[in-house]
Amino acid sequence: MKYKVFVLIALLGFMAFALSGCGRSAAAEDPSKIRVGIVFDIGGKDDRSFNAAAWEGVQRAAKELPIILRDIEPGTPNAIEPAMRAFAERNFDLIIGVGFAQAPIMEQVAKDYPNIQFAIIDGVSQLPNVASLVFKEHEGSYLVGILAAKASRTGTIGFLGGMDIGLIHRFAKGYEEGAKSVNPNIRVIENYVGVTDSAWNNPGKGKELSLAQIGKGADVIFTAAGNSGLGAFDAVEQQGKQNGRATHFVIGVDSNQNMVKPGFVLTSMVKRVDNAVYDIVHQVVNKRFSPGLHVFGLDKDGVGYAMDDFNKDLVPPEAIQEAEAAKAKIIGGEIKVTDAMGS
Amino acid sequence: MRDVFTLSLIASTIRLATPLVLAALGGLFSERSGVINIALEGKMLAGAFTAAAVTYAADTKLGMGNASPWVGLLGGLVAGLFIAFIYAVSCIRFKADQVVSGAAINILMLGIPGFLSGAFFLSSGSTPQLPKDHLLPQSPVVIAITILILVALIWYVLYKTPFGLRLRSVGEKPEAADAAGVSVSKLRYSGVLLAGMLAGIGGAYLSIGQSSLFTRNMTAGRGFIALAALIFGKWRPVQTLLACLLFGFTEAVSIQMQGAVKLPSGEDIPVQFINMVPYVLTIVVLAGFIGSSRPPRALGVPYQKEK
Repeated sequence: MKYKVFVLIALLGFMAFALSGCGRSAAAEDPSKIRVGIVFDIGGKDDRSFNAAAWEGVQRAAKELPIILRDIEPGTPNAIEPAMRAFAERNFDLIIGVGFAQAPIMEQVAKDYPNIQFAIIDGVSQLPNVASLVFKEHEGSYLVGILAAKASRTGTIGFLGGMDIGLIHRFAKGYEEGAKSVNPNIRVIENYVGVTDSAWNNPGKGKELSLAQIGKGADVIFTAAGNSGLGAFDAVEQQGKQNGRATHFVIGVDSNQNMVKPGFVLTSMVKRVDNAVYDIVHQVVNKRFSPGLHVFGLDKDGVGYAMDDFNKDLVPPEAIQEAEAAKAKIIGGEIKVTDAMGS
Repeated sequence: MRDVFTLSLIASTIRLATPLVLAALGGLFSERSGVINIALEGKMLAGAFTAAAVTYAADTKLGMGNASPWVGLLGGLVAGLFIAFIYAVSCIRFKADQVVSGAAINILMLGIPGFLSGAFFLSSGSTPQLPKDHLLPQSPVVIAITILILVALIWYVLYKTPFGLRLRSVGEKPEAADAAGVSVSKLRYSGVLLAGMLAGIGGAYLSIGQSSLFTRNMTAGRGFIALAALIFGKWRPVQTLLACLLFGFTEAVSIQMQGAVKLPSGEDIPVQFINMVPYVLTIVVLAGFIGSSRPPRALGVPYQKEK
């Protein structure tokens, strides 16, 4: 008897799943619409940072342009390729891969489907059907480095990276150079959460690393660590406020994270992945897809720092002036920020 | 080196070891009763997600304020209990392979939080961030005292009460326990359920104590490290505690070392090497000081009552 009940419940559960699956695929798709598939990075579209920016871009496109949008969040790195191929098999018009880790995979898949258009964020491909969307993170990081050095009272600042890879070194190097342009003697403590992709999803360790940096005197911490970076937000908040002003600050990354812990976020190094993604969808819709390298630097406002109501009282006008002056010089070529990836 | 060995190292060790201790002590009950517990990871994830979700709901929907993390903790405990119940039914009632069903639970828990967070928070795998005052206490002193009391209690239950004796006997020689009139399956159920509760609390501490939200797969292998600590601690409470503290300590050292200790040439030590420190130290300690570790004799063997 107990067996039968167990089997019955299991069957019912299975059917519920199967039915909910049917409901989705039964929805008729308008064949005249452009179909866009996006495959997220391991961080997932809720990282309030890099993936979230890409998600915002495609959502805006889905609202304003005649497209059908489907997204996949691979749970493990092994799930990226099947996800990409699933879109390709169903003849999607544009497939977007989010994150450097997908570049080699897209290289394979795009070769097999030469009639489908692909776009890779943070990666580079030479294939004629792939658009490579890359950002000059070092330039934006240089500017937040200036703001960090201006805000630091201890002369020590921190950098919390996610995975220890070239792309993240680019943030670190630009940040350090920007800070040193203000105070040549400033000390920058540079830490990474890990060396595998789980480094993007470990806020506990992110917090411990930030607390260790604070213990060593850092009073501004720039994070480029996906979900792990949220640990740094907790760590600075825990230090509290003195006379209404936070004693320690964090600098957010990729998306504008100023509202995550208002009062404790000095600024955010925004990377306008949203605009880049929107533009590429727009191009495909208007049949003007251009493959090859698309570089987004300070000049196109592809990177920058976020100022809004949440942080306007934290950053003095004088610091903003200095950052703006540096911005003009970088665009004009007077300041050359080192690109740690060397391209 | 002076930068590494500071007072904050001790605090960091305690914080990092706490989820491990809770999960490992849970695993202790289960494994001493004869049921392998590789599902600790999944139970921690269940506890972590539920705790964060319940705390958020208690705070925003019910306005429970400072009581909300405690409600969340209870939620994490119940979630661990629930998952453990499924596991217990499959392993004890249906005599399924314990390693396979444990692995299934772990995989299930990679997906379910994402699915539920989509339904509740329109997100895909994380919960909204909680404000700092609505988290569990994080003072290392409070945590350390709680853990010490818990270990003492578990030691007492396991070695000084009839329940503990029976639990150990069904893990060693279930036939003998059965012949003496002890219900093997009842004791194994209680062992597995206790494991689920403790692992759920361990997960809850991770999401609403150490962090302020749940993110996908946030345990990052801590359930397996807890299992290693249990084996390392020879399935005994005090030794298991020490093993967890060692793991916590080595991770804390590696965290403090990053960027603080330099090569003689003045360059930073590569992060890859620093991340190896906990594991290398573990192997050294395991190989050098511990000696052989003998599991409970009936571990992993479903008990078939003689007809």
